[in-house]
Amino acid sequence: MAKGLDIGTMNIICSERENEDVVFTRQRNAFLELESSDLTKTMLDSAKVLYIEKDGVINVLGEDAFKFATIFGKESRRPMKHGIISPKEKDAIPMIKLIVERVLGEPGHRNEVLCISSPADPIDMDMNTLYHKKMTEALARRMAYETHVIDEGLAVIYSELSDYNFTGLGISIGAGLTNVTLAYLATPVMSFSIGRGGDWIDEQVSITTGLPKEHVCAIKERGFKLNFEVEFGSPDGALSIYYDALVTYIIKNLNRKLAEITPPKVEFPVALAGGSSQPNGFLKTFERKLRDAKLQIDISNVKQAKDPLYSVARGCLIAARTQEGGDVEEGKTEVSKK
Amino acid sequence: MSTTSFSAKSVELFQNPLNIYMGNKKLLLMVDNTNSVGILRRGTVVYYVGSAIFAAGIALLAAGVAFAMIQRIHYGSEPWEILLFFIFTGVGGTLILAGINMMMKQTRYGYYIIAASVFVSFFALLIFARNYSNNWYYPLVSYVIALYTAGFLLLVGNAFANVILWMISGKPEAVGLRGEEIKTYNDEEIERDIEEATRKSIELSASELKFRNLDVEGVKFGKAFRETRGDTIRIKDNMEEAKSLEEAIKPGGKIKSGSVEVDKISMQLGEAMRKGAVEKGRFETFKAVVTGKIRSLVRLTQLKK
Ligand SMILES: Nc1ncnc2c1ncn2[C@@H]1O[C@H](COP(=O)(O)OP(=O)(O)OP(=O)(O)O)[C@@H](O)[C@H]1O
Ligand SMILES: [Mg+2]
Repeated sequence: MAKGLDIGTMNIICSERENEDVVFTRQRNAFLELESSDLTKTMLDSAKVLYIEKDGVINVLGEDAFKFATIFGKESRRPMKHGIISPKEKDAIPMIKLIVERVLGEPGHRNEVLCISSPADPIDMDMNTLYHKKMTEALARRMAYETHVIDEGLAVIYSELSDYNFTGLGISIGAGLTNVTLAYLATPVMSFSIGRGGDWIDEQVSITTGLPKEHVCAIKERGFKLNFEVEFGSPDGALSIYYDALVTYIIKNLNRKLAEITPPKVEFPVALAGGSSQPNGFLKTFERKLRDAKLQIDISNVKQAKDPLYSVARGCLIAARTQEGGDVEEGKTEVSKK
Repeated sequence: MSTTSFSAKSVELFQNPLNIYMGNKKLLLMVDNTNSVGILRRGTVVYYVGSAIFAAGIALLAAGVAFAMIQRIHYGSEPWEILLFFIFTGVGGTLILAGINMMMKQTRYGYYIIAASVFVSFFALLIFARNYSNNWYYPLVSYVIALYTAGFLLLVGNAFANVILWMISGKPEAVGLRGEEIKTYNDEEIERDIEEATRKSIELSASELKFRNLDVEGVKFGKAFRETRGDTIRIKDNMEEAKSLEEAIKPGGKIKSGSVEVDKISMQLGEAMRKGAVEKGRFETFKAVVTGKIRSLVRLTQLKK
């Protein structure tokens, strides 16, 4: 068997195959610090909340951290920012480790193949993803997985563009980052990320409307529609404006990056994935702006992933299964050589 | 950072001495092959001196010819006129040949041969200048002509030999610059090269990175901790992509791990090989059809007999 793992700024998602299905296991990449007391522990235990206790401090992990933050009137913390674990957040690293271990579960057998997605280096921020990549790899290896890492954008291509021979643009618009990969016949030609995503929208709208970020995020996720005819005073207008700005920004950077390479002369389809690509009207806006931008490459069509939130994890699973198949074959030839 | 990029640059230079970076001034680099292997060699300065001498020779020759035309020199002209004409053209001709020789790459003895032949020719011209009109009689005349011709032929022969040697060694250079090896760089390209080299070195050392203290110590887990892994959703999915992906990446073998290993060349190679196989396949079937037809024809004629 094989597994895929998408470690994102907001969600950590594991994908694996079970009979005819693919099962996705998801946890919020967040934690909440509470003071330890017997009462709290009893309460958390009875509510079946995921928590750990260390040195008299309780840390609620995952989805529950989010829920309990409002109850306890505290703010939940996020171990990752802009797609990577920041080595600065010393007490956040154990948290992400625990969440990953939980979501991933024990390997079915020793050296089960696992494919993890990783962001590419952002072009608009001074940030290197290499250390993050190595840390996540080490984490999974420690659990006796055979780990491989692929770019998040490439995972989208694997998951969504098989009908096009894995040629095209895979774009994942997540929370902390937007990842872009251009691939030709399953081989990445260009990969980069942009330091803006859902979090950026939350921040900007929060600044303009004065609403707290969490509130803005909740409104956004409840299903708003991207358009410019909005009710007077509703935050939907601000959300639309910043979504529009985000799309413009992504395409500007894509255009700039494409100018640096000489891509193959073929038509490229585009696949959009990631939690932030979900709003109603996003696909349309993106396609319109993409066509207006007159890119270096020809775009055939623009499509949205079947399950935008799980697309990256699914792509990782596909890569892992392929890798597994390859390894099995290699093993065979080695045996026959002997 | 600056030290890394410096070392990366020097490594690059070390590996490829022809890529000399010169800021954003687009510089033409003369390739100085004095240390290259092979029998032919030439220094850069010699090349320029050679071309100067060549130009001077042309000028002298032209001046001599022009002088002859202006003065309408003929057999009975004034001796100083004839003297001047021969000195001009003689020196000019020798200089032209010497210049050409110097612009070429030379064998080990090349420069001695050039020097010797120039000396011989000039010596002949000197004797001529000293003795013309007064002492210009039978044996001396032939000696002088022989001496000058010897120098002249030596230069021609040397040049000819070099051209032949160059042709045998098959190097695209006779006289002048070698097109392919003149490289120009601008800042952006250099920066990209350095970045690339730095990134590779970081990547390399990162692959040896090992993390200690991965364990979180002194932790008590809540009751629910071992029970649930997270929210699960189950989607019916046959994952056919895994099969097609395997097909798609077959030529190269393994999945490329993203931005790091964009191995275009191997991909193109795989592609080309696949195309070749198809072409060959078609030719093979065509061949089979033709030979089949011929065979049946042969059988038919045999039957008729
Ligand atoms: N229905 C929705 N409409 C709009 N945005 C949504 C919706 N659901 C989730 N989001 C946003 O999607 C983002 C999370 O998406 P995703 O899980 O793909 O990101 P991630 O992988 O955790 O982050 P990253 O890839 O940047 O590290 C969040 O910003 C969230 O607010
Ligand atoms: Mg993501």
